[in-house]
Amino acid sequence: MSLSTPAATPSGRPPRWVGPALLALVAAVVVLLGLLAASIMERRWEAQQPALIVRPLAEWEPDNAAWGENYPREHESYLRTRGATTRTKFGGSFPRDYLDEDPLLVVLYGGSAFSKDYRQARGHYYSVQDVAATKRVGPAAVGTCWTCKSTDVPRLMAAMGAKEFYAAKFDDLRPQVAHPIGCQDCHDPRTMTLRITRPALRDALAARARRPEDAAHQEMRSLVCAQCHAEYYFREGTHLVFPWAKGLSVEEMIAYYDEHNFTDYTHAVSKAAIVKAQHPDYELYASGIHAYRGVACADCHMPYRTEGAVKFTSHHVQSPLLDVAVSCAVCHRWSEEEIRARVEVVQAKTAGAKASAEKALAAAHFDVAAAAQAGSADADLAGARRLIRHAQFRWDYVASSNGMGFHSPQEAMRILGEAMKEAQESRLLAARLLARRGVAAEPKHPDVSTREKAAAVVAAFAEGRPPSLLP
Amino acid sequence: MQVASRRRGRIRRWLLLEPLSRGWRAAIFAAGGAALGLAIVAARIANATSYLSDAPGACINCHVMTDAYATWERGSHGLAAACSDCHVPHTGLAAAYAFKAADGGRHSYVFTLRREPQVLRLSRGAEPVIQANCLRCHGDLVAMTRPAAGGRRCWDCHMNIHGRSRSLSSSPAALRPRLPPAGLDWMKKGLPP
Repeated sequence: MSLSTPAATPSGRPPRWVGPALLALVAAVVVLLGLLAASIMERRWEAQQPALIVRPLAEWEPDNAAWGENYPREHESYLRTRGATTRTKFGGSFPRDYLDEDPLLVVLYGGSAFSKDYRQARGHYYSVQDVAATKRVGPAAVGTCWTCKSTDVPRLMAAMGAKEFYAAKFDDLRPQVAHPIGCQDCHDPRTMTLRITRPALRDALAARARRPEDAAHQEMRSLVCAQCHAEYYFREGTHLVFPWAKGLSVEEMIAYYDEHNFTDYTHAVSKAAIVKAQHPDYELYASGIHAYRGVACADCHMPYRTEGAVKFTSHHVQSPLLDVAVSCAVCHRWSEEEIRARVEVVQAKTAGAKASAEKALAAAHFDVAAAAQAGSADADLAGARRLIRHAQFRWDYVASSNGMGFHSPQEAMRILGEAMKEAQESRLLAARLLARRGVAAEPKHPDVSTREKAAAVVAAFAEGRPPSLLP
Repeated sequence: MQVASRRRGRIRRWLLLEPLSRGWRAAIFAAGGAALGLAIVAARIANATSYLSDAPGACINCHVMTDAYATWERGSHGLAAACSDCHVPHTGLAAAYAFKAADGGRHSYVFTLRREPQVLRLSRGAEPVIQANCLRCHGDLVAMTRPAAGGRRCWDCHMNIHGRSRSLSSSPAALRPRLPPAGLDWMKKGLPP
């Protein structure tokens, strides 16, 4: 009896094992076909029912987990902003102390709280924890500081009024603020349409005769981010305002601040009236090629993904460099390595120019202080200090923006170039003033090569016992 | 001659399982029938016959192709060419179906086991096929040019064949034709009384 011809027994009966084998074979075929059919039917169902509302949402529902019951994919991807270990060449989301990395920042921000504590904020998930932990927010802080940190804010503003919310004490609002940046900040809970919940952006658009209601959906996919990722200041101490009335460019903002005579702090060393730029991400992006082409923030930072037959927006907001395939490569169809290298070249150039501007600015602060020490009057120093004010705002406009210039490479380099020019011009003015007082040699700049040394120098100036800078 | 006809007779006898006893024949035919029936149902659900045609709807049986379909439909080629005009070889019926079978087999394996990448790129086998199809229609345009070294493809420069870009983000809320129902019409309506 041969195994290869089991049926060829004289009696016409196959051997015993053929029965069970046949049963197993047919069962396996039927099971696999059934599984295939079930898989196809599941995909069909997925494609037709992307959302399943299991729980209607209250108008001001702040709890992201409640939204997550209806939108599990979006919520699960959002929860990944908890990851605080991601790194790109120039950014990422990990515990990072900018002052340790770059002691010159201690000098440039000398006279403001940024000189004492300036750490990288982590992902959206940590917004409430991170704002409560920074030393820049002290007992005198106002409710305004919560504005961009929690989904409880729209609810509180609706109940209290925005003005009252801003004017409240930070610590008094603390018990009512629990949920980090999330769904409510950008979405209408009934329709999931994107909406603007923060009055500062609404007011800024109104000042330019625009309403968010008139914006197309694709534009809203950037504007919801612009609610917070924008330049702002506190008018009259508490009221959150975007300086957009003249325009979004750095020159138009400087003109706005000059016209409103606004100053964040008087610089400890040079006594220049400094405006601290606050991450003008949207404004810088708006001048770039991606904005020109109609690419929204969400296209790169919250790319579409597919899961089976379902297409959804990733709510894992992060650097596109951490997922080049879905963010860049959907349009730029080259290899991931090539794309990443291209971006890093642009960023490295910006970083180089930024470092040069920082050095020029630090030198300018000390040169102007030296001119003051040599006996120059405030009226004579006003021109040099004004140049420093403008140069530093320009540098900060790029430096405090995310993306190391990539949001608008040419504009970032232009701004940094102007910043260097103005910083050097102020040094030129200071040199003339020094020469007028008979000081021809270069002023002695103190050693600020470490954070501690820089902090000691700044503290000495702030306390009115500065080292002599005269040669 | 005699040998050949004898062999043919043996094959026929085996196809009908004649050497086996009646009971075995019945059992094997029943089992085969069950598997065949389920295969027919699966083929119906999978819209399998559509793959024999050149209709572009066949390509969106699989949902990951929705953005490719939407960008093609709205682009210039949507007026003149269907998916298979570019993505299937036109060197003969056998080559066309062999290519479809190989590509389709790989696609169904990938999609069923959730191995699909987020960004779809051309496979190595697809590139020469598409290039040949570009030239099939547009060959006159480039007849006077010399192909550059390094095997340049038409789409290295003409990147916008599927609209501005063929991607998830270029078709955020694309409408797509619905798949035909898996059930039968008369089952939905019910039999007349």
